[in-house]
Amino acid sequence: MLGVTDLDVFYGDAQALWDVSMNVDEGEVVAIVGSNGAGKSTFVNAVMGINRARRGSIIFEGVELTNLAGHRTCRQGIAIVPEGRRLFPFLSVQENLDLGAFNREARRHHHESLAWVHELFPRLSERRDQLAGTLSGGEQQMVAIGRALMARPRLLLMDEPSLGLAPVIVDEVFERIERVRAEGVSVVLVEQNVKRALDISARAYVLAEGRIVQQGSAAELAASPEVVAALLGV
Amino acid sequence: MNVLQAGLAGALGGSLFALMALGLSLTWGFLKVINLAHFGLILLGSYLTFELATSTPLGPLNTLLVTIPVLCVLGAAIHLAYERFEVSELSSLLVSYGLLIILVQVVHNIWSADFRRMDASVNPYATRSISLGDLSFPLPTLLAAGFGLVLVVLVGTIINRTYAGRALRAFGQDREIASAFGIDHRLIGVVLAGVAGATAAIAGMLFALRGTITPDAAFEWVGLVFAIVILGGIGNVAGTFYAGLLVGAVSGVVASFWTPSHSPLVVFSMVVLALVFRPEGLFPRRAGRH
Ligand SMILES: Nc1ncnc2c1ncn2[C@@H]1O[C@H](COP(=O)(O)OP(=O)(O)OP(=O)(O)O)[C@@H](O)[C@H]1O
Ligand SMILES: [Mg+2]
Repeated sequence: MLGVTDLDVFYGDAQALWDVSMNVDEGEVVAIVGSNGAGKSTFVNAVMGINRARRGSIIFEGVELTNLAGHRTCRQGIAIVPEGRRLFPFLSVQENLDLGAFNREARRHHHESLAWVHELFPRLSERRDQLAGTLSGGEQQMVAIGRALMARPRLLLMDEPSLGLAPVIVDEVFERIERVRAEGVSVVLVEQNVKRALDISARAYVLAEGRIVQQGSAAELAASPEVVAALLGV
Repeated sequence: MNVLQAGLAGALGGSLFALMALGLSLTWGFLKVINLAHFGLILLGSYLTFELATSTPLGPLNTLLVTIPVLCVLGAAIHLAYERFEVSELSSLLVSYGLLIILVQVVHNIWSADFRRMDASVNPYATRSISLGDLSFPLPTLLAAGFGLVLVVLVGTIINRTYAGRALRAFGQDREIASAFGIDHRLIGVVLAGVAGATAAIAGMLFALRGTITPDAAFEWVGLVFAIVILGGIGNVAGTFYAGLLVGAVSGVVASFWTPSHSPLVVFSMVVLALVFRPEGLFPRRAGRH
C-alpha cells in the first residue's frame, strides 16, 4: 500500500537520506531501526509531508504523495505519532484529539473514532479537560497515539513511541500497537527498542547514515549479528 | 481634572492603541512575523478615510466599507510575500520596517507631509463629547473603545470558542504537526493577515476621526503599540485590550499629574518590569489560550 522508491531528502544543503526504497503491505507492521541520527525521523516525516523529498517517489494506494501539499497527506489515510509526541500543549486532551480528526473525512467519523480511542486509552476520557502539556509522559504518548487514530489512518507512522517511558507503559503502548494493527491499520514503527520492535513486526529495515543497509523479515533480522553491527553505526 | 477622569480618559484613548496592537499581536503570535508594515496599513487607513470622507458623501464611518476590503487584501498580499521569501521571525522585523518606510513614503507622496484633517462638516465626531456626571469624554475616544470592545470579543470568541479558532491555536503551538493533521498553513496565514489588515482599517479610521494626521504618525505609534503587545502577551487578544486600557490610563494619569513627556518613561518602565517578572504578559492566558 505504501511504496517508496529512491528517496533523497535534504535539510538545506545537507543530505539526510540517500536512495531509500521500502514498502509496506496492507495490515503489516514494518519496523525501521537504526542508531541516533540515522535518518529514521527524516524518513517518516518525509512520508507524512513534513519534510519534502528532493528526489524519488512516495506512492500510497496509487497516489503520488510527493506532489501533494504537506497538509493534504493526512487526507489520503496516513497519520503520524511524531517523535517526542509533539502534542498541542496549551490545548486540552479532548481538543488535541478533536484536531486529530481535522480533515473532512475523519471529521465525519469523529464519534466512532473517539469511542475507539477512549476504549483503547480509558485514561484519556478521565483527563479530557486537562491541558495536554501538563500530562505525564505516558499519558502524553497515549494522546499522541489517540490523536493520530482520530485521523482514521490506514497507515500509522510511529516515531519512537516508547521513548522515555517506564517499562509498564512501554508494554501498554506495544500492546495497543498490536490492537491497532488487528483493526487492519498498517504501521511503520521507528524504534530504538530494537528487540521489542522486531517482536511485533513482520519485516524490518535498518537505516544507517541515511541509507538502508539491511532489510528482511523481523525474525531473520533478529537472528542476524550484522543488525547489531549496523545499529552501532559501523 | 481629577485622577478618575484622567485615568478613564486615558484608558479610553488607550483602546485605540489596543486596536492598533491587536493586528500586530495576532500575526506575531500565530504567524511568527513581527509585521511593522501594519503601522503603514493603519496610516493608509487614516488617509483613505480622510480622502473618501472628504471627496465622497460616504461619511467617515462608512468609509470602512471601502477601507476594510482594501487593507484586508493588502495585508494578505504582504503576508504572502513574507511566505514567498520565507521571512523568519527576526528578519521580518527588518523587512517589514523597510515596507513601513515605503508605505509612509507613498502616503507622503500622495498627500504630502502637511497636517490633514477632515473638515468639521464631514467629521462631526471630532468636536463632540459625551458627559457622564462630572466626567466628559470625546466621542472619537468612546467610538474607539466601542469598536475595540466589539472586535476583541468577536476575535477572542472565534479564537477560543470555535473549531477554526482551535485549529489556529494548534497552528500557533506547532505548525508542522498542525499541518500534518490537515491544517492548511497558507489559508490560516492569509485569513489571519487579512483580519489584521481589517483591524488596521478600523484603527486608521478611528485615528483620522480624532483630528489631524501626518505621515510620521505611523512612527509615533510604534513604541506605545509594542508596549501594549508585550504587556498584553503576544497573541493574547483579551490581554492586548486590557494592556491598551492600562497603558492609556497610566499615561493619562502621569500626563495630568506629572508631565506628558514622562508618560513614555513610566510606560516603558512597566514593559521592562513585565519582561523581567511576567515575560508571558500581564494577563496570563486561561486554559487553552493560544
Ligand atoms: N531540522 C533539521 N535540520 C538539519 N538537519 C537535520 C534536521 N533534522 C535532522 N537533521 C539531520 O539529519 C540526520 C538524520 O536525523 P534524524 O532525526 O532523521 O535521525 P533519527 O534516525 O531519527 O535519530 P534519532 O534516533 O536520534 O531520533 C541527522 O544527521 C540530523 O542531524
Ligand atoms: Mg528520530
